[in-house]
Amino acid sequence: MDSRSQILTKIKANKPEPMDLLHIDPSIFDEGLDVVPAFTKTLEAVGGNVCPIDSMEAVHSKLKTLLPNARFTHSTLENTHEINTFSFDAIERPHDLEDLDILMVKSDLAVAENGAVWIDDSKFPIRVLPFITKHLVFVIEEKAIVPYMHQAYEKIRDFNFGVFISGPSKTADIEQALVIGAQGALSLTVLLLTADTTP
Amino acid sequence: MSHPKLANIFNEDEKKVDWHDKALWFVRHKRDLSAHKVKGWETLREFGHQIKAHTLANLDQYLIEFEKNALSNGIEVHWATNAEEHNKIVHRILKECQAKKVVKSKSMLTEECHLNPFLEERGIEVIDTDLGERIVQLAKESPSHIVLPAIHKNRHEVDDLFQQHLNTKPCNGDPQYLTQKARKHLREKFINADAAITGVNFAIAETGGFVVCTNEGNADMGAHLAPVHIACMGMEKLIPKQDHLGVFLRLLARSATGQPITTYSSHFKTPAKGLKMHIVIVDNGRSEQLGKPDFRASLHCIRCGACMNTCPIYRRSGGHSYNYTIPGPIGSILSPGKDLKKHSSLPFASTLCGSCSDVCPVKIDIHSQLYKWRQIITKEMKQPMLKRKSMKIMGSLFSNPTQFNRFAKFCRWALRNLPKSILYAKPNVWGKSRELPKGPKMSFTEWHQNRENTKRMKNNG
Ligand code: SF4
Repeated sequence: MDSRSQILTKIKANKPEPMDLLHIDPSIFDEGLDVVPAFTKTLEAVGGNVCPIDSMEAVHSKLKTLLPNARFTHSTLENTHEINTFSFDAIERPHDLEDLDILMVKSDLAVAENGAVWIDDSKFPIRVLPFITKHLVFVIEEKAIVPYMHQAYEKIRDFNFGVFISGPSKTADIEQALVIGAQGALSLTVLLLTADTTP
Repeated sequence: MSHPKLANIFNEDEKKVDWHDKALWFVRHKRDLSAHKVKGWETLREFGHQIKAHTLANLDQYLIEFEKNALSNGIEVHWATNAEEHNKIVHRILKECQAKKVVKSKSMLTEECHLNPFLEERGIEVIDTDLGERIVQLAKESPSHIVLPAIHKNRHEVDDLFQQHLNTKPCNGDPQYLTQKARKHLREKFINADAAITGVNFAIAETGGFVVCTNEGNADMGAHLAPVHIACMGMEKLIPKQDHLGVFLRLLARSATGQPITTYSSHFKTPAKGLKMHIVIVDNGRSEQLGKPDFRASLHCIRCGACMNTCPIYRRSGGHSYNYTIPGPIGSILSPGKDLKKHSSLPFASTLCGSCSDVCPVKIDIHSQLYKWRQIITKEMKQPMLKRKSMKIMGSLFSNPTQFNRFAKFCRWALRNLPKSILYAKPNVWGKSRELPKGPKMSFTEWHQNRENTKRMKNNG
């Protein structure tokens, strides 16, 4: 018998009586979160920055003031060509991205309870981008924020690779001292497009 | 060596033990603050428990569903009955793609299978990329905690290690500087890796995808840069539906470190264009444990480490004293199932206070399982003379109230009157580094009776 059948046979013999799968009604966790302030507060607590902006046009200038010394930058948003200092077509191997200073990505889903922002690879062409970049900038509309993870998963359907990112990369592996900037991004900024100007 | 002996070694450095104890208690405290902020936390734990129990009851079906979906996503699926087969499969994949340099993110499973030495003996370089794991790898040690692998090392030890291996300058243990240097060192490893190995936090039957959680971003740096990604999972990592991640991702990081979620929760479903992705599903004793009704709930574990952080024994004896890949309370109920004789001292490394069960995000009855293992071990294995005899005597004492009262009276007198040399003599292990209480004149029963009598007299008078 091959290993697969061996394992499956043994499980079949040893598993307990079947039991029903419970139905989860996420409304029992609802405490009426005010999602925008809750998202902002949580993201700041995990080391991220939140900057409200009132129009897409403000993205560019905001970026310049936030990270003035960036040289190698890329945005995957529409109408932000002036930000891009190179084209992805010129990248032969993902390794060539090692010097990337800023990556800017639009996200359509963020979670208030934990400051996490969801992006999947329909938003960025090379999977390593959000991890290898030194600084990560998300552009999010206020209406994209949901209260809890349960609501987030209701929205996540088709993707090949996707990730929730909550704050910059970090570690506390040396004597429990928190250090921001481990193997991934050194900083994370969310440009939050305020509701009344959302098209 | 038994747990008490190894714990003694850890306790030689009293200052370090104090630090270790406090540091972990602080993590436990952060867990409390974070959990208490969530409305319905207890319900969430109950959901976690139920989903896992349901999955185990249909594990074969869900594994088949998972395999089918993973295959149609373009992932290659492998099955390993034990550690050796797992290692051979990984080695075969690496050989096929001529990989010489491998980066690995945290995976307790590959530790359990001793994958690193297996690959190294066959000429493959394996670099652990989680900072804590890299530290213990450089020190040629094993992780002492499943979430905080280097919690037993202080900053100066890390400083020395890095000077020796990474050519850093002496920095008086500056964590910022050391982390920066590690980042540079690991970047180079990521860029040059031929293959990446990761663990799996959750595998989803419904989608054939899997989720890996890290704070450092090391799993993603490895998996997306290397041409081949091998994900190794214990078969109990399965959950039925993607929606269930909503429950588990809310529980995991809060229980582990008090964070609302890990920095990265990466959802892998298909390999990137032109790259290869493999999943190795490992049994290695799990199906055996599944067949033990008293102990199967130990397979619910999501490896958050909360039971370690809260355990008064773990905090004061250190992870290495358990001499098992998974230390602490959960390790003490998993390990006897694998080798009862070798790990027979572990279920006794507990006060049975139940704190582990209280914090466990998937509500494993850890302390009752510890108690059940004790019963099995005492029956099946010869206990030390002194313990056997004293247990017998205690047994007969406790079963006879008159005798017990007489004995207790003697003990109270002895605690007040006998010289220290006798009270703290060697056979009395309770007197070791402990101050014995001053024996009270009355027993609790006597005190209570007196009080009732006085009350009655007052009422009558
Ligand atoms: S047994 Fe429970 S508390 Fe301990 S590591 Fe596993 S999930 Fe966490």
